[in-house]
Amino acid sequence: MTIQFERGKVVVIDRGARKLRVGQGMLKGMAVVWHHWLKSFQKLDNFSKTAGVFTVEYPDERIKLPEAYRNMPILLYDDETGQELCTACFQCQRVCPPQVIHINQARNPETGKAIPAAAEFIIEYDACMSCGFCAEVCPFDSIKMDHEFELSTEDHAELTMNKAQLSRPVSYYERIAPTFWAEVKASAYKKLQNSVKRRVDLIGIAPQMVEKVKAMRAAAAESEATEAAPSSAPTKPSAAETSPATDKAAKLAAIRAANAAKQDAGNGGTSTPEAPAGDDKAAKLAAIRAANAAKKAAESGEGSASVAPAAPEAPAGDDKAARLAAIRAANAAKKAKDEQENS
Amino acid sequence: MIKTEELQINIGPQHPSTHGVFRMLVTVDGETIVDLVPVFGYLHRNHEQIAEVNTYLQNMPYTDRLDYFNSMANNQAYAMVVEKLVGIEVPERAEYLRVLMVELTRILNHAGALGFLINDMGAWQTPLAFGMREREKILDLFEMASGARMMCNYFRFGGVVRDLPPAFMPLLKDLLVALPAFFDEFERLLCENEILLQRSEGVGVLPKDLAISYSVTGPVLRASGIPYDIRKAEPYSIYDRFDFDVPVGSVGDVYDRFLVRVEEMRQSLRIIEQVLEQLPDAEGDHINPKAKQNVRPPVGDAYARIESPKGELGFYLVSDGSEKPYRYKVRAPSFINLTPLGDMCRGYKVADVVVILGSIDIVMGEVDR
Repeated sequence: MTIQFERGKVVVIDRGARKLRVGQGMLKGMAVVWHHWLKSFQKLDNFSKTAGVFTVEYPDERIKLPEAYRNMPILLYDDETGQELCTACFQCQRVCPPQVIHINQARNPETGKAIPAAAEFIIEYDACMSCGFCAEVCPFDSIKMDHEFELSTEDHAELTMNKAQLSRPVSYYERIAPTFWAEVKASAYKKLQNSVKRRVDLIGIAPQMVEKVKAMRAAAAESEATEAAPSSAPTKPSAAETSPATDKAAKLAAIRAANAAKQDAGNGGTSTPEAPAGDDKAAKLAAIRAANAAKKAAESGEGSASVAPAAPEAPAGDDKAARLAAIRAANAAKKAKDEQENS
Repeated sequence: MIKTEELQINIGPQHPSTHGVFRMLVTVDGETIVDLVPVFGYLHRNHEQIAEVNTYLQNMPYTDRLDYFNSMANNQAYAMVVEKLVGIEVPERAEYLRVLMVELTRILNHAGALGFLINDMGAWQTPLAFGMREREKILDLFEMASGARMMCNYFRFGGVVRDLPPAFMPLLKDLLVALPAFFDEFERLLCENEILLQRSEGVGVLPKDLAISYSVTGPVLRASGIPYDIRKAEPYSIYDRFDFDVPVGSVGDVYDRFLVRVEEMRQSLRIIEQVLEQLPDAEGDHINPKAKQNVRPPVGDAYARIESPKGELGFYLVSDGSEKPYRYKVRAPSFINLTPLGDMCRGYKVADVVVILGSIDIVMGEVDR
């Protein structure tokens, strides 16, 4: 009797006929083994083959790890500026199943306000279960899974990693997982720009980059100082905001741009038929205009010594002012758009 | 008449043939087993209690560590029970990916289990290497898709964590060429081998009625002649869309368990081939975009079960409406299949115990939890 299922049936396994056993089965098996021995001088380089050597001579020879491979979490920082992508949002700490991630939020030493950066970031590698949840939930694409697996050590405590040991440049992750990074690169950098704006001094710089960034900033400040009036050259890195003349020019440009944006927004989509949203276009236009205005202002200011070129972290002060103006203009345009929508 | 004396000996807990830390308290009369009591609990890790202090999502990687040979199957059972509890829909494509992964898991589990069984019989390493070679290829595919070879953590509520990478399909198609050749080769290598027949035929017989009363499941139950497969008895996921047969044994000895597993690998291959045919037409993404991973199920309970390579794997969850399960229970096939070990071994020789234990195919991580 055979039982029939909807799609398939029950098969009673054939145990083979009872026959004289004089070793023919063993010989058959030996033939298979010999076949494999003969083939064992070839490399099994294809999944469709069953015979050949498929082992590799580790550590001289290594198999290329797939991009998705995950071992231990690492933190990313930007190669050039040294800014960490992490903003200490605590998502990874919350999701971690064995609870091995510990974060300290950075605070402004003067005001005590929280800054979007981690003061200290510790992961206990020895208890990490490599599940990859931290990398999955990270909204800033800061925490990623490393491919490095040779982590053995004689001292157990060495596996408690601090921020300096966890930080890797973005270029490192880009190398081990190019397509994964390409997917998130744009948004990750956009978010980084936002958090960099709210960081002060050296907070948020990867520990191994601190010296380099310090030197870079000092060099920039020096070159600025020699270029313009040395007496008024600012030494504080955040001096861009406090420099009055550039600021004024930028503000002016921003106001102009905002007005222009408002005008454009008032016209609506009629004047810009190719853009899906007129306001958006206007904002962009305003930003460009503001940038131009700022540039002009900066150019005219360069001649006279009364304008103090600032922003040591930017290669050129004008650039910084222009960027600032553009951002302000964009904000103004956004506001104008919001107002228009509300009315 | 020679007067004999019974002797109690321990096999394990530290013994290479016990597949982990597992002790068998054996009463022998000469070479014959009079009684055998399985003693487990040496690998107890408090799995169920840990799960009750974790959130629902955080338990997913812990299920990998139950039966570390079949992390994909464990993932599926757990994902299914949470989806049942919360009411999450799974897109069609995700279901196909799940079935693909679980059937690959079944092949790798059986390839490994049979290799270890032959190892227990004394054919040291060579047949095991045959099984391990194919297992290795499947693990490479798992690594490509999920990021890890054994602790895959690939399933999420409402789908799987990411779609297959572009390099996956060509390798899988190559593998599907190799697998039938491997099955044939494996059968030629072993199925008629006189030593294997001598060691396995008529050894460790588990009669039908005993198997049912011990609630044994999986290949062990089917080898005893009962065609019970949850994929057929209560089709879950999309198993009602595939043609496949259920192999059963006729005697219920170690040899039947061996042959049933070989045939099950072939049936799994059939399913994978059908998955590949139907996958391109499958609708939806690899995960339900509306499914939240940070779930808070309504008050209630749910039980979901799958036909894992070792038997019926079930998860029972009770929710009190918070983000953590109130109660979390695993119905582990290895554990329940191990309980009739005493009855299976009684009357056989000491050397047979190791083979019978190997034929049940246990993983201590799942037995003790």
